[in-house]
Amino acid sequence: MPYFLLVQKFFFIACSFLYFIFALIVVKQVTSMSKNVHDKFNPILISFSFIHLIFSGILIFLILLLL
Amino acid sequence: MNRSKDLDTIAPDDLIIEAKEESIPTVTPIIEKETKDFKPEIKIIKKIQFKDKIYDILGHTKSPLSSFIVNPETFDFSERNEDESILLAIRPHWVTNFSWILISIAMLFIPSILRFLNVLESLPFNYQFVSILFWYLITFIYVFEKFLSWYFNVFIVTNKRLVDIDFNNMLNKHFAEADINMIQDTSSSVKGIFGTFFNYGTVLIQTASEINQIVFEDVPNPSKVIKVLQEIREVSEL
Repeated sequence: MPYFLLVQKFFFIACSFLYFIFALIVVKQVTSMSKNVHDKFNPILISFSFIHLIFSGILIFLILLLL
Repeated sequence: MNRSKDLDTIAPDDLIIEAKEESIPTVTPIIEKETKDFKPEIKIIKKIQFKDKIYDILGHTKSPLSSFIVNPETFDFSERNEDESILLAIRPHWVTNFSWILISIAMLFIPSILRFLNVLESLPFNYQFVSILFWYLITFIYVFEKFLSWYFNVFIVTNKRLVDIDFNNMLNKHFAEADINMIQDTSSSVKGIFGTFFNYGTVLIQTASEINQIVFEDVPNPSKVIKVLQEIREVSEL
């Protein structure tokens, strides 16, 4: 494997893990925002944040699998 | 000869004239007689009329994504007291979202542009796929974060106070409140081409409370908001 791609792989893995942590923070924040301000649309927003978390988990999986 | 007992204030040779005990004024309870006629039914009627007045000023809004939510049924906030009812919830004008919507549309097209310019050709297919997926996730979270900061930045008018809740960058919460009776002065300003065209601006409320100024930014129809606040003040003074 070329040196450039190896560096890129580690870069992708590190970024995806950081992104996953960020996605967790987003979930936490959206739930706490929803607790502060209640409205009809809140459950949809919470579910969006969870979908985003799932996708960031899939991203880690794909990076480890494909790269 | 009597000498002073208080040596700190009077010299030892000073003559003392014994102070006569002042007669303590007796506090006689004064029972105020209510002179005004108490008419609760008038208050209730005026409050119902007032709710209709808000509808007349701002119109009926039922969408949860509306900038004005008048007398909301489902909308609530955690700091609300039990005896407090929300009269109006205001979000910034939807036009304020225009800039980030444009940016996010541009972000959606960036992978296609890079492909068109053959920038990604140097990478293997797997790397291209993961990069594009990562990019779309970043685009999504950008849109989501911008939407959240619009959706959760609300100015709430209750029958007792004004509340301003701001979430900045999803990590900081700003909460400001002022009693309705503490409102001293209200003013509004509409600035810029967009502000004038779409009629949105800033409502500035001077209060006599600890937070002496509450600012509602990018509020649609600022003059109508001020009119509503004036009506609320009049009703609260009843």
